[in-house]
Amino acid sequence: MGLIELAAAKALASSAVFLFITLLMMAAAKRISTCIVLFSIQSAIMAAEILGMAYAGKSVAAYAVAALVITVKVIAIPYALFRIVKDLKASQDVSSSTTGAQSVFIMAGLILLSFFAVAPYAITLRLDEDLLAAAVALLLAGAFLMVSRKKALMQVIGLLVLENGIFVAALTTTYGMPLVIEIGIFFDLLMGVFLMGLFVFRIRDTFEHLDVSKLRRLRG
Amino acid sequence: MTLVLLLLIPFLAALLVLICKQPQRAVRVAMTAGALEIAAIANAVWRIGFEGVLEFGRYLRADGLTAFFLLNIGVILALVLAYSIGYLRHIPAGRFSSPRWFYSLTFLFVFTMIAVFLSANLGMLWICVESTTLASALLVGFYNTKGAVEAGWKYLVVCTVGIAFALFGTIALYLAAVKSGVNPASALDWAALMSAAPSLGATSNLVKLSFVFVVVGYGTKIGFVPMHSWLPDAHAEAPTPISAMLSAVLLNCALYALLRFDTITSHAIGSGFSHSLLLIFGCLSVAVAALLMVVQRDLKRLLAYSSIEHMGIAAIGIGIGGPLGLFGALLHTFNHSVAKSLMFFTAGYVRENFGTLRMRRIHGMARTLPWTSAGLVVGSIAIAGLPPFGLFISEFMILTAAFSTSRYLIALLLMVALSVVFGALLHHFQRMLAGKRVDLPEKPKLLPTDFALMGVCMAILIVLGIHIPSAFAGILQRALVVLQ
Repeated sequence: MGLIELAAAKALASSAVFLFITLLMMAAAKRISTCIVLFSIQSAIMAAEILGMAYAGKSVAAYAVAALVITVKVIAIPYALFRIVKDLKASQDVSSSTTGAQSVFIMAGLILLSFFAVAPYAITLRLDEDLLAAAVALLLAGAFLMVSRKKALMQVIGLLVLENGIFVAALTTTYGMPLVIEIGIFFDLLMGVFLMGLFVFRIRDTFEHLDVSKLRRLRG
Repeated sequence: MTLVLLLLIPFLAALLVLICKQPQRAVRVAMTAGALEIAAIANAVWRIGFEGVLEFGRYLRADGLTAFFLLNIGVILALVLAYSIGYLRHIPAGRFSSPRWFYSLTFLFVFTMIAVFLSANLGMLWICVESTTLASALLVGFYNTKGAVEAGWKYLVVCTVGIAFALFGTIALYLAAVKSGVNPASALDWAALMSAAPSLGATSNLVKLSFVFVVVGYGTKIGFVPMHSWLPDAHAEAPTPISAMLSAVLLNCALYALLRFDTITSHAIGSGFSHSLLLIFGCLSVAVAALLMVVQRDLKRLLAYSSIEHMGIAAIGIGIGGPLGLFGALLHTFNHSVAKSLMFFTAGYVRENFGTLRMRRIHGMARTLPWTSAGLVVGSIAIAGLPPFGLFISEFMILTAAFSTSRYLIALLLMVALSVVFGALLHHFQRMLAGKRVDLPEKPKLLPTDFALMGVCMAILIVLGIHIPSAFAGILQRALVVLQ
């Protein structure tokens, strides 16, 4: 086995563990910019995984998807989020409703839960159990970040993590969807983040704060 | 080419309107583009009637079901554009509150919804449904008030998360198709999936998993309880023409996506599983929305909850299934679109004249605004499901289907809920209508187009309530063929 094959195999085999580490660090993170960096690293791990698959499967489409992930999720979206954080000139605190220790504990619980959830499917469909669990864990973690963090930007990051989970699920189960569909999904994602950024500014301008738990004018 | 034209006109219109700096010219361009688009839709529906299925390339496809929903969007687009002429006189000038932005975003919204109907591929269907959220979020937050920004944010976040679940469901179905031996390159194409559907039964667990995620995902967009939290806010805070469009076309758009998945799932593992889920969500939506309608204070929120209720009724119709249930459900979505547009238009007139939508603060409407009141009364009789209007026929069909398949509990729930809704509407509207004439600040009178469009809505509802024209019945029948 050559060196590159070995690297590709290693990347595939251990990427789930790296994904779990980013999740636990995200739970512990106190500043929004830390979460953005972690999201970027998480996407880079996914990109490495896709490159490994592309190399193993000799698939041109997979290389294209990897390039898309790197440009959109590793570079463009984190860059845009950093710009928003800078332009907002607001406090960097994620304003969590759980303490750091509690968050890490809950996140670990979610990771365990996802292993239990995927066990029956992984056996019958003969899929990689670790990566499938990582996909479900990313989904749950994204949802957890969205409900427990009060800052509007953290909801965007939670959504992105959730979307990463779906992406990993598609990757492990079907080696990705047809290329045209992938491109469409990326375009939608980019537009979505752009629009949410726009709304974050509008929330700041009309409410003079960014705490979405205080948005409660519309009830009933 | 017919299909490309359908997408090209609204897209170009969205760009073209944006360069018209003068409000008058923007309105003129928008009306011309709207007329062209409606002609293109009529042409497409006509040709689908003759040729059955139209295709363009790998990704655009239109069959009987598409034709029915295209007709729906065509009618509502015509009504909304006509209404917007009068409505725009009240939009205050501002950076973002200008007619060209309004029309540009509206055409973009229409473009994405038509793209949903024309998608030949379930992945592309997902992409288009997600873009409808993106295109309409700015319209919901159009006024930039506190309420509008909050509603827009909530709409964007709740629907994007919901739709993400639908993507997960789509991937699960893709996996099921690939595992059953469908070529991966075409395993999301509607035609390939339909022909392979019987063999998907081997992976029934995956198909079930996929449908659960899809019903939660697209159900968020349809407004099924308990995923409905965005819907009343968005409907109440959006500009009135957009409220009508959200309620009358966008919800149907998401229902269309769910119908496609329901058909494949039913073919693969039998209709029992998917239809029970639809019945559960339908009953829950009808019951909760009916009760919440009693306690509403804002007219547009009341109408939004009524939309949830009617989508629940349509879901029950699909869930009961059979030719009668499905026919009733499809007819119901169309009837609901027309009746709800009429109601939102009158709500808009009320807002312009009384300056509020708080129902407690509105009195003496019948004497002050006789024509608007007539529209409100006719519309509320129609959405309460009383004869001689179309919704009576479609609700009657769904009830008949429920009784003939001996689902007495569901029929009972539906009848009780409809009575509660009728009581709620009566309770709210009799207070608004009765009372002495109120002196209001002088406001521009209704335009001839306003009378015309209220008349058209009423005429459609009455015609569908008395006798369904054979051409329309033919379109409905061809839609049913696709679903069975």
